[in-house]
Amino acid sequence: MNYLNSVAASFILLPVAVLLINNILPKQFVEKRFQYLTGAVALCQMAAALSVFFMMDHAGLRTYNFTIFRNLPGSELFGIHPVSLVFLFCIGMVSLVSVMVANRTVDAKKSAYVNLLMTLLIGMNGMTLVNDFFSLYVFLDVVGLSSFVLIAMFRSRRALEGSIKYLIISELATVFILTGLSFIFMKTGSLSYKDIGSAVLTGSSTMQTVLLYASLILITAGFCVKAGAVPFHSWLPDAHQSADTSVSILLSGIVIKIAGVYGLFVLVDLFKGVKALQVSLAAIGILSVVAGALLALRQTHFKRIIAYSSVSQIGYILLGLSTGTTLGLIGSVAHVFSHAAFKTTLFTNAAAVHEQTGTLEIDEMGGLQSRMPVTAFSSAIATLSTAGIPPFAGFWSKLLIIMALWTSGSAVLGGFALCASILTAAYLLRLQKKVFFGKTPEHLASVTEVTGSVRLTEILLTAVTSIVGVFFPFILLYLQSKGLI
Amino acid sequence: MFMDIIIYISLAFLLFFCLMAVMSHSMLRSAIYLALASATLSVILYMLGAVWAAVIEVSACSGLVTVIFISSISLSKMGKEDVQKLFATKKQMGLLPVLLVFVGIALVILAVSHGFTLPSVAQEAADTFRTVFWDTRQLDILGQIAAVLVGGIAVSVLLRKDESEK
Amino acid sequence: MQIFNFETVMLFVGILMITAGFYCMIRTYHMLKIIIGIEVSIKAATLFFTLAGYLNGHIGLAQAFVITAIVLEVIVVVVFGGVTIRLYQKYGNVDIRNLTRLKG
Repeated sequence: MNYLNSVAASFILLPVAVLLINNILPKQFVEKRFQYLTGAVALCQMAAALSVFFMMDHAGLRTYNFTIFRNLPGSELFGIHPVSLVFLFCIGMVSLVSVMVANRTVDAKKSAYVNLLMTLLIGMNGMTLVNDFFSLYVFLDVVGLSSFVLIAMFRSRRALEGSIKYLIISELATVFILTGLSFIFMKTGSLSYKDIGSAVLTGSSTMQTVLLYASLILITAGFCVKAGAVPFHSWLPDAHQSADTSVSILLSGIVIKIAGVYGLFVLVDLFKGVKALQVSLAAIGILSVVAGALLALRQTHFKRIIAYSSVSQIGYILLGLSTGTTLGLIGSVAHVFSHAAFKTTLFTNAAAVHEQTGTLEIDEMGGLQSRMPVTAFSSAIATLSTAGIPPFAGFWSKLLIIMALWTSGSAVLGGFALCASILTAAYLLRLQKKVFFGKTPEHLASVTEVTGSVRLTEILLTAVTSIVGVFFPFILLYLQSKGLI
Repeated sequence: MFMDIIIYISLAFLLFFCLMAVMSHSMLRSAIYLALASATLSVILYMLGAVWAAVIEVSACSGLVTVIFISSISLSKMGKEDVQKLFATKKQMGLLPVLLVFVGIALVILAVSHGFTLPSVAQEAADTFRTVFWDTRQLDILGQIAAVLVGGIAVSVLLRKDESEK
Repeated sequence: MQIFNFETVMLFVGILMITAGFYCMIRTYHMLKIIIGIEVSIKAATLFFTLAGYLNGHIGLAQAFVITAIVLEVIVVVVFGGVTIRLYQKYGNVDIRNLTRLKG
């Protein structure tokens, strides 16, 4: 049990340690080796998530509460569930990809990048590990501030503009969430997960019921803004386009999911059975899926198309969440993982194309398939996974979500989600055709394949998508044997 | 009775100062109105029994935030005529008092027609502020330290002079 | 008027303050005025928390929440001010209508 405690505590303590190391050691030494430092943290996080899963399984625990600081007995501050373990693994994976891409794209301000990445990790790990809604809010604010500074780090006009738009809308969401929390606090005496529950909504006077429903609306709206769901998505394309590509990988791969979707997971888990919440999440979900796909069809900037695609996929995750069944929950969590895999592949391809050709407007590109074969191949695999073609990972997660929608009664939504796959394939195929196929313009005739860590990342991510897709039935059987399905 | 009168007067002042901070033309006056609103809020917090929160509110918001705000204003100084020309504040924010009066009347009508009452004051809980803040909410302290770190990094990244900037 | 004790009036004043704060955040063109909107909104949330703590007796816990929210708010003001100063150095004024480079 002590071993489990120390491994689980490493989620918070390891980024803190690297933060200290980065600032204490001399700057030249650290800047030459920054990718090893941060890559080590990301790898350790992935390894820790997997080992905690197996250790908890071995000890037969479903949840595990622990504490790091000297504390009163009986009031454990941190708790781990299997769902949060998947999120922690995704955090590690996406951070590793971001570091490997930043190896090539970040040329200046490396130590600031490491510092901000470590605080971002502290914030995100903290969010998934706490047992208390107000601590979730505090770490949410830390995540927002870190990502805001990461976008604005290079101080170009576009970067500052994207980060200001992100900050204003994110602050609006933060104030929504804070107000909603205060209304819940008015009814119950504390904000920890044990004390809030569906029982809160019964047995109170009229004004308190009105305030509680208002707080649910406010908190849902706040988390949907942070997740980038329609109609609150307006900050997402600007922030992704104007940030450096390694930061875009972090934002789209994990920050919108931890800051937005994980909050909604907690909310749905605490307020099970509130019909209004499920209906509103389903409505926002289907709107995001369709609107995100339609808006992506008319963009001409590589990263903007991928950003609108993120909006669309967040809609799928919200649809899976809105069913309220275990199958929907598993589908959403699986889609979080597969979306992290294929979206980071697409952004890595954007980084590769940007490094080698210097531009990201797809009208200026063409025929890069013969010159950058590895990039083209990984991009094609990512496209197939996004569109939900077997045997890749995206197919299984979409299948689980659509099955969950079908069996829990809203067959119309399942049909819509299925048809929206066509739109998904449409805009991604358009991107592929314009960038990789067709005739090469003259100024790109001497473009070569990208080398080094970016190419390695593309190969690894393609392998992950394919292997997880092929072995997914075994994962499902394993979970069923453990009784989790 | 005495407490009620002070709270009503302070609430009226708070609303007035916030409204003036939003609607005022010059930024300096907005900053001063904001500081006054913070002071009034801290009086209300003290009357409700939140002593420590009142102290931190008056020192952090009314002091620190006002100083940061005024230094930002002076570092991005524009002439008075430019401000008047660019930001026609009177035209934009003129709608606000009307909106507030509407919302207020709507709330009063809703309250009277449905008989809203808030629950009465409950027994004081056993934990003092000291044990709650330092023992039970240690995670929040960790979060605050991380946030202060991010603020420090932000200032050093964003405001450092760089020769190669265009 | 048994309905209007000071707690209900406090709740209404808080709702009015939040309305004013959001209106300011949305409608203004001056970047620093947005900070004032954020501040006013968070003051209203502070008022709600303390009122809630007063009503259910956990005033110590409410104070912990309020202090944490104030610290986070100060950091947000600092970061926002920093970016505004940077943008002023690039554009010469703090008009938010300058930011039109990212379209679509």
